[in-house]
Amino acid sequence: MENAVKFEKKSLGTRLRTMMRVDFRRMLKSKLFYILIACALVMPILMTVMMSMMDGSVSVNPQTGAETVMEGPENTWQNIGTLPGGEAMGGMDIFAMCNINMAFMGVAVFVCLFISDDFRSGYAKNLFTVRAKRGDYVVSKTIVGFICGALMLMAYFVGSVLGGAISGLSFDLGGLTAVNLVMCMLAKIFLMLVFVPIFTLISVAAKQKAWLSICGSLGGGMLLFMMVSMITPLGSTVINVALCIAGGAMFSFGLGAISNTVLKKTSLV
Amino acid sequence: MNAIEIKNLSKNFGAKQAVCGLDMTVPMGAIYGFIGENGSGKSTTEKMICGLIPTSGGSIKLYGKDHTDAAVRASLGVLIEAPGCFPGLTVWDNMMLQAANLGISDAEREVIKVLKMVRMEGAAGNKYKNCSLGMKQRVGIAMALLGEPTLLVLDEPLNGLDADGMRIMREVFLDIVRDGKRSIVVSSHLLGELQKVATHYGIIRHGKMLCEMSAEELDASCRTYVSLLAADMNRAKMLLGCKYSRVEVDEAGYIRVYDMTTPEEIVTYLYENEITVTEIGIDKIGLEEYYIDLMNGGKR
Repeated sequence: MENAVKFEKKSLGTRLRTMMRVDFRRMLKSKLFYILIACALVMPILMTVMMSMMDGSVSVNPQTGAETVMEGPENTWQNIGTLPGGEAMGGMDIFAMCNINMAFMGVAVFVCLFISDDFRSGYAKNLFTVRAKRGDYVVSKTIVGFICGALMLMAYFVGSVLGGAISGLSFDLGGLTAVNLVMCMLAKIFLMLVFVPIFTLISVAAKQKAWLSICGSLGGGMLLFMMVSMITPLGSTVINVALCIAGGAMFSFGLGAISNTVLKKTSLV
Repeated sequence: MNAIEIKNLSKNFGAKQAVCGLDMTVPMGAIYGFIGENGSGKSTTEKMICGLIPTSGGSIKLYGKDHTDAAVRASLGVLIEAPGCFPGLTVWDNMMLQAANLGISDAEREVIKVLKMVRMEGAAGNKYKNCSLGMKQRVGIAMALLGEPTLLVLDEPLNGLDADGMRIMREVFLDIVRDGKRSIVVSSHLLGELQKVATHYGIIRHGKMLCEMSAEELDASCRTYVSLLAADMNRAKMLLGCKYSRVEVDEAGYIRVYDMTTPEEIVTYLYENEITVTEIGIDKIGLEEYYIDLMNGGKR
């Protein structure tokens, strides 16, 4: 007589919970995660302190003899964005290139290495054998990338405050309020949901080729990088946050669906 | 109901056809020995069963359901090519990750149980990258066993294992299928080891199933022969060749007579021709020889 075998059907919630448990466990065991958070924390401190120390110093070009006077930061929040009346961000000085928006590039590296590790180690075989629904993987990776990005932004914020305090810089927000600052940070955090799905899509397409996904993500990220300071200025309001949430939702669902299709249609080993 | 039922399965990689029109049936409770040369399509078939590569045609049913069914797939255990472990993590951490992936509630107990099964409990704290080949293979098998999977797909699980490791694996395999509900597909080139546990066989060549049979059928197909050593081997072979239709000398130097006969008859015949038989017995060709013969066009 034949024995019947029963298979337990797992709900979306259960599937996502188990998938995310794996990814969070991995993230918390990953050195890269801590390195990126540490970089996000230390970079603004080092930069602020270093630039403050160099404020007013003159460097001479030995060939032309031209003198350049180094300008240090005047305000703590210059690491986050441009104060009203200040010089617009987007130049090629160190503050423009290494401000809080660098977190978006850091997340690109994290997401690419995180996903390529699954394929390089062969763990993807274990994952996808027991997970017929590829969407779980995409959703989980997007959420983990988003959280890593949010933590990097917060670490950078804390680092900026510490750097400003150490260098004795002003904490004056000019015509802005603390609410604007909070909204700016929230907008940046939700804007991660625009970037992370792009990096996730590139990474699942590149699979174990980490170099390809990193190059693709940084290249793609650079195209959008300049818009970050425009969409999330220091004087952000609820509208900026709402725009970032809407954009994040659109990119997450749209690119998530494409990532899902890529995983379904291609070889996973 | 069969554990696996594959009909007309095919897989193309560009112009190359890795699997073409493959039919395969793995009964429930079977240990299915999946045999074939390198590049014959074993691993590709196994990857398609596990949903790791899309099929180009045909159907795969696992326990009567399509292989893309999430519930059936959640009850699969797999070891294909190499265990999917993160080199920088310890064996324990890797196992706990897979337990989390499977949603096992009492993960620690389950991990300890499977590590004990493969005798790896003592190495749980080792980093995976520092494990030997055999240890890595054991970890891979332990990982596949997590969560008591209904169907295990193991690609070369015996590679790198020592004699004790192989014995342990045989015991584990037999224990898994004891209830008659769980099944195992094992591909291996160690045919002697496979023959000790397999209940069914499938032989694949150039992406096509050459034959499928149960262990009983294989046993019936494997011919018996009389094997002997004589004082004058050349003359003995010549004389036996005149009387019997199929006489060969094997790699060990023994004369084999495949015709229906008895050792007594051969001893008498050679004695009458003044040749002394120094050693004689009845033997049977094993899976390995059967397989080699089949690959050579079924000579025997």
